[in-house]
Formats: sequence, C-alpha cells, structure tokens
Amino acid sequence: MDPAREEILAKVRASLDRGPDSPAPPVPPMARVGPRSAGSVDAEIALLFSEIENLNGNVRRLAGREDLKSALAKLVKVEAVKKATLWTTADLATWDVAGTLKALGVEIVSPQADKHLVAECELGVTGVDAALPETGSLLLRSSPERPRVVSLLPGVHLAILTRAALRADLHQVFAEAKDAGYCVLVTGPSCTSDIELTLTLGVHGPKSLYVWLLEAG
Amino acid sequence: MSQTTAPIDFRANAQRIPPKMAASVQKATAKFLGNRAALVEALGNDLWQTLRQAGHDLRLHAITHLDHYLEQAERAVTAAGGHVHWAPDAAEANRIVLTIARRHGVKKVVKSKSMATEETGLNHAMEAEGIQVIETDLGEYIVQLLGVGPAHIVVPAFHLSKEEIADLFREKLGVVADAEAERLTQVARVKLREEFLTAGLGISGGNFLIAETGTVVTVTNEGNGRMCTTIPPVHVAIVGIDKVVPDWESLTVLLKLLARSATGQKITCYTSFISGPPRSPSETGPREFHLVLLDNGRSRILGSPETRETLLCIRCGACLNICPVFNTVGGYTYGYPISGPTGMLFASQILGMQAAGGLPFASTLCGACNDICPVKIPITDILLHLRHRVVEGDEQEGAVAPAILRAGAKAGSVALRTPWLYRLGSTMLKWLQAPLARDGWISTLPPPLNRWTMARPFPAFAPDFRGWWRSRGRGRQP
Amino acid sequence: MAIQAQLFITCLAEQFFPGVLQGMVGLLERLGVQVAFPEEQTCCGQPFFNSGYQTEARELARKWLETFGRTHGFIVSPSGSCVDMVCHHYPHLFPPGTPEHRLAEETAARTFELTQFLVRQLKMTDVGARFPHKVTYHASCHLLRGLGVREEPKALLQNVRGLELVPLSTEETCCGFGGTFSVIYPEVSQAMMEAKVQSIEATGAEVVVACDAGCLMNIAGGLRKANSTVKAMHLIDVLTADRGTP
Repeated sequence: MDPAREEILAKVRASLDRGPDSPAPPVPPMARVGPRSAGSVDAEIALLFSEIENLNGNVRRLAGREDLKSALAKLVKVEAVKKATLWTTADLATWDVAGTLKALGVEIVSPQADKHLVAECELGVTGVDAALPETGSLLLRSSPERPRVVSLLPGVHLAILTRAALRADLHQVFAEAKDAGYCVLVTGPSCTSDIELTLTLGVHGPKSLYVWLLEAG
Repeated sequence: MSQTTAPIDFRANAQRIPPKMAASVQKATAKFLGNRAALVEALGNDLWQTLRQAGHDLRLHAITHLDHYLEQAERAVTAAGGHVHWAPDAAEANRIVLTIARRHGVKKVVKSKSMATEETGLNHAMEAEGIQVIETDLGEYIVQLLGVGPAHIVVPAFHLSKEEIADLFREKLGVVADAEAERLTQVARVKLREEFLTAGLGISGGNFLIAETGTVVTVTNEGNGRMCTTIPPVHVAIVGIDKVVPDWESLTVLLKLLARSATGQKITCYTSFISGPPRSPSETGPREFHLVLLDNGRSRILGSPETRETLLCIRCGACLNICPVFNTVGGYTYGYPISGPTGMLFASQILGMQAAGGLPFASTLCGACNDICPVKIPITDILLHLRHRVVEGDEQEGAVAPAILRAGAKAGSVALRTPWLYRLGSTMLKWLQAPLARDGWISTLPPPLNRWTMARPFPAFAPDFRGWWRSRGRGRQP
Repeated sequence: MAIQAQLFITCLAEQFFPGVLQGMVGLLERLGVQVAFPEEQTCCGQPFFNSGYQTEARELARKWLETFGRTHGFIVSPSGSCVDMVCHHYPHLFPPGTPEHRLAEETAARTFELTQFLVRQLKMTDVGARFPHKVTYHASCHLLRGLGVREEPKALLQNVRGLELVPLSTEETCCGFGGTFSVIYPEVSQAMMEAKVQSIEATGAEVVVACDAGCLMNIAGGLRKANSTVKAMHLIDVLTADRGTP
C-alpha cells in the first residue's frame, strides 16, 4: 500500500464526494465530434501532399520500383548521404531500399547499433503506418522492426508509404494506434519559432522530411 | 497549503519590467493570434464552438471522475511494465525523481518542457545534488543559460533578440555564431545532440495522460520530446493529475483545439504517445519508464466547485496571448512559471492567497480570455470567486485581506444602500472637491486616490441629475 | 399603452455624467417611451462584487431589487457593466429556489443597456440624430462580452446624419479601467490607457464614443493628460447633440 497514493486518491474522492466504488459513467456524447468523410483517393493524396509541402516537406509520387531507385539516387546526391539507417519492416525489404542504397555507395548502419553511430547517419528511411491527409501527418509506430531512432536522429527522414496507409481522420488513426506501446504523429520536419518568432527547421529532429508515395511495389 | 513562498508582488514586478518588454510580447502574441484566427476561420466558427464545448465537457468529465481515471491509468502503465509514483506535493515529486536518478548513478539529465517540473523546482533540487539538468526545448535552453524562468509557456525566450542570444551562446557555450536564427538554432542542435546522446535520464512532462491505455502524450515542434523519451536509458514523465483524459477519442477533439490555440498550427510537428517502456527487448528506447503523478494542490482545487474548472486548462497559452494585461507586462510579472489568466488561477490556488492573493486582482475582468479559451474555462467568474476568497474567505481558505479593508467595504456598502446617506455623501463630495476642480477636472487627489491621478485627472463631481429631475415637474412622474 | 422604462442611472453616471442622464431621458421621451425614476436607487453593488465583497454586494443587490423589483416595464441603463452585474451576477448571489433568486431572475429579464433597449426592444437604429463629425467607437468590455452587444452601438452611430464612423484598431481591447484595478495596479492601468489613447489618436477622429461611465472617465482623463484634441463622449451625447425628427 503506497501511502502517497492513498492520500491523493482520498483527497480527490473527498473533493468530488465520491467513494472507491463510485460509478464511472461513459464520456458524455456531447463531448464527441463526428468523423470526417474522405474524398476520392486522388483527392486525399493531393491533400496529404499539399499539407506536407506547406510545412516545408518534400513530396513525390513514384510509379514503381524503377522510379524508387532513381529517386533514391537523386536523394543520396542532393543530401550527400554517406550513411543510412532503416526500418526492417517487410515493406522496406520487399522494395529493397537497403540494397539500392548500398549499390549507391551508402553504408547501412543498423538502428540497433550504438546511438552515436546511428546519429552519424545522414538519412533515416521508414515506412508509414498511417497517413492523415487533413493535417499531412504520418503515424509511425515503434516496434523491433520500426526503431524510433530511424525517424529521429538522422538529419533527413525519408518516409515511404502506399495508398493502403491513407486514413480519413484521427478517429481511424487512433482506433488502430492505441495498442502501440509507442507511436508518433510526424507532421513536417522539426521546427521552432523560439528565436524572435522566426521559423527555423531541424532543431532536434530531422531537418528535411521526404514523403514518397509508392504506387506499385 | 503548499510550500511557503515569498508573496508575489505583482505591482512591484510590473514596475520593474524592461522598457521593450511590452513591444516584444505584443509582437509574439499578435503572430500567434493571427495564425490562430486564420485557422479558426478556415475550420468555421460553428465547428470551432462545437469543438470548444466538446473539449470543455470531456475535460470536466475527466476531472470530476478523476479517481477512476487515475486508477485506470495506473493499471495500464503497470501492465505495460512501467512504474507509477504518486507525489502529493512538490517536495515528494522531486524526491521521487532524485531517487530514480541516484539508483541509476545519473550525472546528466535532459528535459523536455514541463511546467509541472518548473512548479516543483525540480531542476534546482537535482542541481543541489550535483546532477546536471539540461533543458532541451530551445526557448527553455536559452532562458536556462540566462538563469531565468520562461517568459511565456509556449515561447519561453520570445523577448530576447537574436543578438542577445548570440552573445549568450558566446558567453556560456564558448561558441561564436552569427546573430541569425538559423545559425543559432544549428548551434543549439549540435550542442544538445551531444547531451541527448550522453544523458543518463530523460525527463518529460505530459500534455495529456490517456487513462484508457496509460499513455503519456507529448506535443512538441522541435523533437526534443521524442529525444528525451527515446534516447536516454531511463525515462521519467511528470504529469499533473489534472492532465487526465478518458480515452484516445478525447484527443480527436483536444488535438484539434491545442495547436490552433497555442501557435496557430493545425497540429505540432511531433505528437508522441508513450504507453510504458518498449514492449520487447529488441525495440529501441528506454529500459525503464516511470510516471510520476503530481498532486501539489490540484486535489484541493477540485474540491472548490466554483473554481475547479481551473483544472480544465490544456496549457495552450491563448489566454496569455489575448490578455491586455499580459500584453502590457509580460510573463515574469506574475512570479510563477505559468503566467497570464490561467497562471493567475493556478498560482493563487496552488500557492495559496497568503503568497499570491494579489494575483486574482491583476485583471480588469475584460473577459477576452473566456472567449478564446479552447475548453471554455469561465476564467473571470473564477477570478471573481478567488477575489471573494481573498477578502471574505471561503471553505478553502480564510480571508487574507487586512481587516481595515473589510471594515471600509462594510461601511461603504451601508452608506450606499441607505439612500439619504448616499445622496448626502454625493453632495458633500461635490462641495469638498469644488476647490480642487479646474475645467471639470481634478488633477491631484489625496492617497489612495492619488493612484488614479498619477496617471490621469479625475472628473469633477456633478451629481445634478436628481435636482434636474425634480425641477422638471413632479406632475410628470407616473 | 406607451412603453414604460424605469431609469437605472448608475452611481458613476450620477456623479460624473449628469448631461448623459438628462440626454437619455429626453431621447427616450422623444421616442415615445414613458420614463420613470425610482428615487431610492443608489448603486448596483458592482464595485463590491468585483472586489470580492460578495456579502456587501448581496446587501446592495437586495436594495436594488427592492427598488426596481416593485416597478413595471423595462429597466434601462446607460452602462453595460451595471446591467451585466444585474443580469449575470445577481441571480448567483441568491440560492436557487428562493424568492430572492426568482426576483433577481425576473427583474434581470427586463433590464437592458440603452443600445440593447433601442435596437432590440424598440427596433430602432435611427433616432433622427445629427452629429457631423469624425467619430470612432470603443467597445466597453462588459457591454461587448458580458451582454453580447457588439453591433448595436455602431448601427446607431451609422445612422447619425453627417457622422463619419472610422474603425478603431483596438476597438475591442480593454482600456485599462477595470474598476478597482485602476488603483490597485495603477502603472499597468496607465499603460493600457495610454495605448488606448494612442490608438484613438491614430484614427484621426475628433470624438471617441463609448457606452460606459468607467471607460469614459478613464479615456477622457487619458486624452486630457495627453493634451489631445479628441473628445470622449457617451453615445447618448452624440444621439442628442442635435435633435431632429426620428
């Protein structure tokens, strides 16, 4: 028995005139706001992209694997990528992102490696567990195949999604996400206006966010 | 009552603010208000008002069933392998965190922004034990280097120029950088990156605590929240018990309200949901997760029906931004980490009226805060009740106002409700001030009314209406 | 039967703005309203309530309700904050279900600020006034947010012949009066008042209009201190400056 716990709960109950067996009614219906109806898939993709671009993210539609390969080559050049770390999900494996990067001369660092080594990577590549067009947000879960550091430590974050990730609203996203031990909604690259209210990117999280929609893997 | 604190002297603090503070504050608040207004308009006022009401109702539901939700959250965190600690007051909260730090031999701590830990003075408590604490929110980092607290709950260092920040970095970090926002941000990124990677403990607050799954939600733009809760081997989250929400559904409302109200963003860059430590050993993240539930007077506020809606606050800062007093004096004047209207409510109730009894009066009751609060806290009604507590006392606290003021108020009210006394007083005042009046104005009055005339003249008394009414002809009265 | 209005003159207007009160009587009578003046009235108790002295405020509320509770017809006042006190705070001073609470609610239901009364009850926005000057409007906080009166004063001003209404960038920002706030935190009050005065002068208006004695005392004093040529007037002064036919 934790006396501090009992003390706090007793005070709370006394303040509310409740007892240990007092009922807990459901959240009042007034306190709910309805779901959003999604538009057509193309409209949703357009919305997702425009929201991300407004936040200084970079977006791209890729027709297939060949497109992905050439896009990766361009990214490696533009962002001067020497080291990369990746999620080890089935999707990324199927698309052979690690293989493509290796062929471009990029050293692949395991996300399980020492954090200092992971922090030296210029690029982190993840999939996307859910995408929310209305705010341009990407839900990334944490799991053994989805290490958190991949989307956090490198200066460039590349998130590859398919249409299957699109969700109409937060109700849908949360219904799926609530059982994850850790997840994050990523909306644009890291930013702050703490200095004279001037917007700057890449404070602690990634400075650049690339979001690519892969149509056919 | 909580820890004894030196009384907060709002007037003295207001007299000491640097000349350019008002302009800096207004520049910051104007920006946030403008961005907010654009987003509210885009959403449509009807939907916005529906969201506000929903936000109010679910937060009120949460705090009025707080025992149930706290127990639910505790069960969920424990089931997920986390540790839950209960801190009845600030000292206990600090002791709990220090114990965890000592057990792990922690020398360095990285912190993401937490008003709760400013309230408990955690940084000082840890530093007194030889542990280095580094604030990682850029604004908090800057004011920490400066040795002061935050000037605004959302943008702690808004009042500093980039030149001042460049000087600060040169002096305290030994880094020379151009006085340019991008460069200075980069300096902080590099410096703090090293701290994140070598800290033994990460401390966060919590914007919300979802009871359903015991999930701590942190809302940031910079990514420091993610860093503090991912990189160090131990994560401690300190969350006020008032932050509880029943379920994830609640956040579909609250997240729509929070960022729009705070900075005029639809949502912040990173919204993290942390439900205990990683579920599997091969998942990256802290090895240990601790949740510290902080009471420190919140359970007492809960017991005051007229003021308990104080606890609905989601710390967006919108009331600060719109408050004409805050825009005149800035955050430091309030003498408490949370400032502005919501700060007045918290400070005076957490610290008690002996220490903070002047704060409920630091408002003109203009009501702009009521209209902007995303969860519809009736701020001015609460302030009115708190004033009543100061001068008359209530179930929570006895009156602290000097007895002579009460006597004066009583005498004044007797005079005012006795019509002949009222009319006599009015006529006497007219005669008494006649020699002082020039052109219908009195330029100086004796104390305490000289507090009026130091700023502007006082109008001459001219209580002529009743005589005029009577002279019009009694026959005209029905 | 003619509309009956009981005058709720307010303690501040009585001491400092007798012309406004006389103007209000003349205006209402010209519009066909039968005006009465319950002589026992003193103060609604707002300064006490706002300062936390609810016991004293309750006594004054009782006195006010005793005075006005026995009248008939509308109760009309030139001050938004006093009406806000009666309408929003009086009922809460008495326990629900008591006769006093009921009286408070019933009396509050027929108590109006003047522009509310003119526009919403009499359905008038044109009272035949003439005032050929450049005017700007300051929205008193309790009138605006307490009573929700935003457009009525401006609608009345817009129909004044010859009047040019120019917007005030800080129209809805508090002037810094706040009752006892002005003497508890005088420096802050002064700074807010000065900001309001600067903003008024920036409009180029000759006159600033408000509907509350407290705001007017503060703003007029501030304009005088700043040696400004801008005059602060109550809306009633503008509506009665030059009588025409409605």
